[in-house]
Amino acid sequence: MPTTTTSAASSSSSTASASGNNSNRQADVFSRLASSDPEVKLKALREVKNQIIGNRTKKLSFLKLGAVPAIASALADADDSEKCNNILVQSAAALGSFACGFEAGVQAVLDAGVFPRLLRLLTNPDEKVVDAGARSLRMIFQSNQAPKYDFLQEKNMEFLFSLLNSENENVSGLGASIIAHACGTSVEQRVLCEAGVLEKLVILLDGSLSQREACLESLATVLKNNPEAVSDFVGLESGRHLNSVTELTKDRYPRTRLLSCLCLVVIYNTSPSYFVNMGTKSGLITTLLELLNDPGQSGDDAALGLSCLIAGKEDLQKLAYEANAIKNIVDILKTDSELQTKRLQGLFLSLAELCSKLEDCRCSFVSLQVLDLLINALRHKDADVKAAACICLRNASRSVKNLSAGRFNSDHVMLPLVQLLHDPSSSVQVAVLGALSNIVLDFSSPKSSFIEFGGIKQLIELSKSMDPDARCSALRALRNLMFLADNKRKELFISDVNAQGFACLISDPEPPVQEQALALLRNLVDGCISSIEFVFDEDGLILDTVGRQLRKGPQAHMAIQGMYVLTNVASGTELHKEAVMQQLFPQATGSENFMLKFLQSDESQLRSATVWTIINLISPSSPGAYDRHVKLRSAGIIPQLKNMVNDACLDVKIRIKTVLGQSMSFGDNY
Amino acid sequence: MSLFRIFVNQLEEDDEDMSQATSKKVITREEWEKKLNAVKLRKEDMNTLVMNFLVTEGYVEAAEKFQRESGTKPEIDLATITDRMAVKKAVQNGNVEDAIEKVNDLNPEILDTNPELFFHLQQQRLIELIRQGRTEEALEFAQEELAPRGEENQAFLEELEKTVALLVFEDASTCPVKELLDISHRLKTASEVNAAILTSQSHEKDPKLPSLLKMLIWAQNQLDEKAVYPHINDLSTGQLEDPSV
Repeated sequence: MPTTTTSAASSSSSTASASGNNSNRQADVFSRLASSDPEVKLKALREVKNQIIGNRTKKLSFLKLGAVPAIASALADADDSEKCNNILVQSAAALGSFACGFEAGVQAVLDAGVFPRLLRLLTNPDEKVVDAGARSLRMIFQSNQAPKYDFLQEKNMEFLFSLLNSENENVSGLGASIIAHACGTSVEQRVLCEAGVLEKLVILLDGSLSQREACLESLATVLKNNPEAVSDFVGLESGRHLNSVTELTKDRYPRTRLLSCLCLVVIYNTSPSYFVNMGTKSGLITTLLELLNDPGQSGDDAALGLSCLIAGKEDLQKLAYEANAIKNIVDILKTDSELQTKRLQGLFLSLAELCSKLEDCRCSFVSLQVLDLLINALRHKDADVKAAACICLRNASRSVKNLSAGRFNSDHVMLPLVQLLHDPSSSVQVAVLGALSNIVLDFSSPKSSFIEFGGIKQLIELSKSMDPDARCSALRALRNLMFLADNKRKELFISDVNAQGFACLISDPEPPVQEQALALLRNLVDGCISSIEFVFDEDGLILDTVGRQLRKGPQAHMAIQGMYVLTNVASGTELHKEAVMQQLFPQATGSENFMLKFLQSDESQLRSATVWTIINLISPSSPGAYDRHVKLRSAGIIPQLKNMVNDACLDVKIRIKTVLGQSMSFGDNY
Repeated sequence: MSLFRIFVNQLEEDDEDMSQATSKKVITREEWEKKLNAVKLRKEDMNTLVMNFLVTEGYVEAAEKFQRESGTKPEIDLATITDRMAVKKAVQNGNVEDAIEKVNDLNPEILDTNPELFFHLQQQRLIELIRQGRTEEALEFAQEELAPRGEENQAFLEELEKTVALLVFEDASTCPVKELLDISHRLKTASEVNAAILTSQSHEKDPKLPSLLKMLIWAQNQLDEKAVYPHINDLSTGQLEDPSV
């Protein structure tokens, strides 16, 4: 290597010009782009194009200098004559490269208003010009920012079909790409099917690699959640094309395998009846599992595809479990530390689905020493990954065996979970609340690290969130936390909450929130008599609110919790029982007593809860029981109970027997 | 009872097979050639194989001549082969920048969607700069073009560090990564570009002929366990050699 003084002198001068060279060169290329001499312009275009292709950093720096509008002008200024072909090709190629996988680039190209000009290139007589135009347009349509394509306009449909009919691979691929990325609604799907798009697309299945892949992507979009479209597709040539797609899941190219799998997932989720054959189902699962190991984008998409496929389907989850899915996925997570966020999200969602219903899966998962993996994911910077890890944890903690063995209750796990309660993303909040709701049901140890980390305060905060899902989930977590809780724990909650705020939750605009608030209240007033006092704070505001809600004729789920609140309050002192009576028979009469309605409900739990309230109200050991019994009888409630001696639900039947026994002790004979 | 007898008989038969297995069936050259002659091949199939080989490897003129003489149609447009070969040649000669321009003219998507290939081409450019002793330029190039790639990807960073190590050693022959300077590395990069271009043209990147030969060798290995027969030991001549008994 030369290190002599002479080369030092030459190298220092070349360094000086080199460092200045770059920015000079870049500024220089702009003036040449605007040159009136086509040769100079062409050279400048090629230079920019060759610098940016493959190089994201260069794309960014040229973008900032305003390269895109400059190139767009060059394109616009060139007419359609043959001598301008080179300029058309190079500028289109450069714009296409800016748009390739680079959202800011797509934005800039669209902002430069060059989209219509690119479309016109498709009708140019020169094949190279057409290719360049088609490629750049395809790059644009792969982005979410692509202009909306109105399939409902006849002109647009004609244009689309002219693309699909083209012999040129890039052009037909563009047609398929437009469908794949712009078709959104079922109306659009129907319009496309009626115009015969399926027949056109299946021709591409037998074409070149890029045509096949474009076809598979667009098929998935047209068929998604549309049973009619799926039936049309399967009906084409008696299912030949469904077979073709299934065969392609064994293709040599991973991306083809992936896209055909995703297509089958769409068809399965829309119309599972076409997959009677077990073999196809397991084949699909096995192929997706293999694709999880692919290092590129195919692996990312495979992970999400797998979670989509097995979501909510116990039979498929079982097949996946038998194909060793859990171990495979955990191995991938453990060995590869640099996974893409989309893949991480997909892998955790797949694990979550696997653990959603099957105890074997949950036990298998937990036995693989996965807590560290989960904790790392909980600390990831991407919200989707954090949420997916929380959902995974929530489903794994459905395993009573592992939960009660204290596997999820260590400080190690609890700390990141509590920290996530502060996360700005509402989807993360809801997800972590779901996980915590299960985990706090761990009674294996007297200490609760959740409470020690200040979890209760956070839950109270979240119960006031603007997002109803967050409010509901926070209340559910609190409800579970207060289940069979001792007074000390209840105090921690009550001391931070005022009656006014709680009453607001009970009368929240969203019924699910109301239900959880009442369920929480039920747990709070359950147990020893002193816990009942909470409902009497601020002149009995909470109890009044409960009564008011019950009188409004609520849905069964809410009513059940409300009645159990009354049951628990009525288990207290004489004063408590009288207060309940006040709610059941308020001064303003005229409206039918809601207890009668509840006793006639189809929901056995509601009937049961109502009967329990009555049992507590007239329990003979308390002084005012007799008077209360008289009131209940004259309101028609005791007679109603007598009609229910043969209630279909055993629990209800037994409780009614108890009431009637109490009734007899007051001298009521029939 | 009868089941047991069947089972025992089965065992006895197996014993017979086992005693036969130790002495393999011997096939003489005459018998073997007779068997081979009985296999019918189509000339068109062989022509297709040859054309496939010429086209995939990029022998344009040979492919054209073969097309004229045999009437075999090439599976892809021969013009694209010329372009592809120009790229391959440019890399083999160390003119990587030229090769990149040619690939981009052929299909701008190839390098835009193949980060690994793009990195390897840039890496080869760096190696050529180092080979020519243009140290300052090499450093600047590494800094400006390759370092950002290394930031995006751990594997790239490691390869970059290896390449830059070439600069550290005064005497290239003592450098532990000196194989990067070897001509074979150019060939490796050239082959990678060739494969990417073929894939983008939906053509399979490997010719069929090598697979057939591998199948032949595998089949002979399998058959060796059961028989003694004339082998093809030299693939280039295809000569049958008598079995050594």
